[in-house]
Amino acid sequence: MSESSCYILDNGAYTAKAGFSTMEPKVVPNCIMKAKSERRRPFVGSQIEECRDASGLFYILPFQKGFLVNWDTQKTIWDFIFSKECCPVNFSETPLIITEPIYNFSSIQEAITEIFFEEYECQSLLRINATDLAEYHYRKTHNNECTVVVDSGYSYTYIVPYIKGKKYKEGIRRIDVGGKVLTNHLKEILSYRQLNVMEESYVINQAKEDSCFVSQDFMADMEIARRKGSSNTIVKDYVLPDYTTIRRGYLRDIVKPDEDLEQQTLRLNNERFSIPELLFRPSDVGIPQMGIPEAIMHSIEGCPEENKESLLENIVLYGGNTLFPGFRDRVFNEVRAFALDHFEVNVTLGENPVTYAWEGGKLMFRDPDFYSFCMTREEYEEEGKALAFERFDI
Amino acid sequence: MTSRESGRVKDAEKRRVLDDAARKRRARKAIEALEQDNFHEDPHADLVMSKKVPKFADSNEKPTRKKKAKSAEYYKMRFRKTFAQLVEEDASFRPDPPNYLSAQVPPSKFPDRHFCAVCGFPSNYTCIPCGARYCCVRCLGTHLDTRCLKWTA
Repeated sequence: MSESSCYILDNGAYTAKAGFSTMEPKVVPNCIMKAKSERRRPFVGSQIEECRDASGLFYILPFQKGFLVNWDTQKTIWDFIFSKECCPVNFSETPLIITEPIYNFSSIQEAITEIFFEEYECQSLLRINATDLAEYHYRKTHNNECTVVVDSGYSYTYIVPYIKGKKYKEGIRRIDVGGKVLTNHLKEILSYRQLNVMEESYVINQAKEDSCFVSQDFMADMEIARRKGSSNTIVKDYVLPDYTTIRRGYLRDIVKPDEDLEQQTLRLNNERFSIPELLFRPSDVGIPQMGIPEAIMHSIEGCPEENKESLLENIVLYGGNTLFPGFRDRVFNEVRAFALDHFEVNVTLGENPVTYAWEGGKLMFRDPDFYSFCMTREEYEEEGKALAFERFDI
Repeated sequence: MTSRESGRVKDAEKRRVLDDAARKRRARKAIEALEQDNFHEDPHADLVMSKKVPKFADSNEKPTRKKKAKSAEYYKMRFRKTFAQLVEEDASFRPDPPNYLSAQVPPSKFPDRHFCAVCGFPSNYTCIPCGARYCCVRCLGTHLDTRCLKWTA
């Protein structure tokens, strides 16, 4: 039994990446949104593109703190993703790879197994951590022994060391800072300093994506941001969307008041780099945790001595937050400074960080042993959910 | 009858200094706020659905569907568990570390940095009543006018 393609669903807390292994993945917002302007219908997943006025969007997310808890929401979104409107699939003919968070809770695991075998009538199912797929992707392209995978997503940043393709659980570290915290913090400080944008998660999230960067020398950048006039190279205006002529905001240089084009803008100065800085220093907002580079070192410290060298040489980053300009360089510089001098340090930014794990699923489907990782419908009917716990190492 | 108040008593009230526990409570609230999905009410919450109007997607088309397709509502009821319940349950499923709780990184070995609560630049001073940070007299003024002890419940 072998099919020519499989369906891969990297079910993230903010976006789901879905599609057949023979195609390009679709990135679908994994949420239902309600707009103030459209009173009649909620927007499921990528339907939001049809929404004319995305101000004051109300989010309904299936995930809470990185775990799937709102099943009615998730079911509605999955129905949308698997429908003709998005990326249709028949699971009785196509194997499915679905990702789950690290240490996913047992009852959520059971629920996923049940839903896919019974509701979606899946033939073969592979439940796996997104970091496993990313590690597989990296290992197949680099031929290395050990890898440290850094997944910086919406709810969390996870650091997972792998030794010979197997995750080393004693070394797994989680930082409770992800894209959501960054957006909310930006919203909070902008609302206090300039304009109340507390209801504009969607717009401010875009503003964050468009204007923030990771500083390489934080205190020096703070000094630049303090300067007045043209010697301040950091300060910019972010033009907010008005949903008549501008659909997505953009960053522009500061213009003199008389040249003002009557657009509503937010002035971004130290906000541009102090927001992503939270990934490196969560204590800046009072979250008593290590930043990413320090946590990488802490994770590697927890691994066997003989693997440390190989781990330091193979650090791979992916997830939405890694898209901030300067992210990789900052991680590299700090890890380099922490690590002993005689070790080599390599930090790689996964290509297309958002779909890096999804692409790993594509490679894994081509693995000759692929079907031995999966669980089939017959096995499920024979042995039930208990087998799923044995087979899938979540 | 309007009661007469002493201006000095009022002022003293204002100068109340938050104790450590209250400051920690505030800090925790601020961190919790960073986890919220929305800061406003559901804009459709006040919509009254008329019974005559057909609802979307369900009931009407059901007879034509060949498969039993359970509704989203069914799964909500079937797997209803809160995040706190799940964490508690995990303690019996994976009692020994490594598990979800043990994976959280410990505090950094580096000292905390402090930033002005008003302008975001590095700060050297602490507001005496509430413990917020500020960097200059101007920012302190703004802080006292807008935030300091303003949202203590």
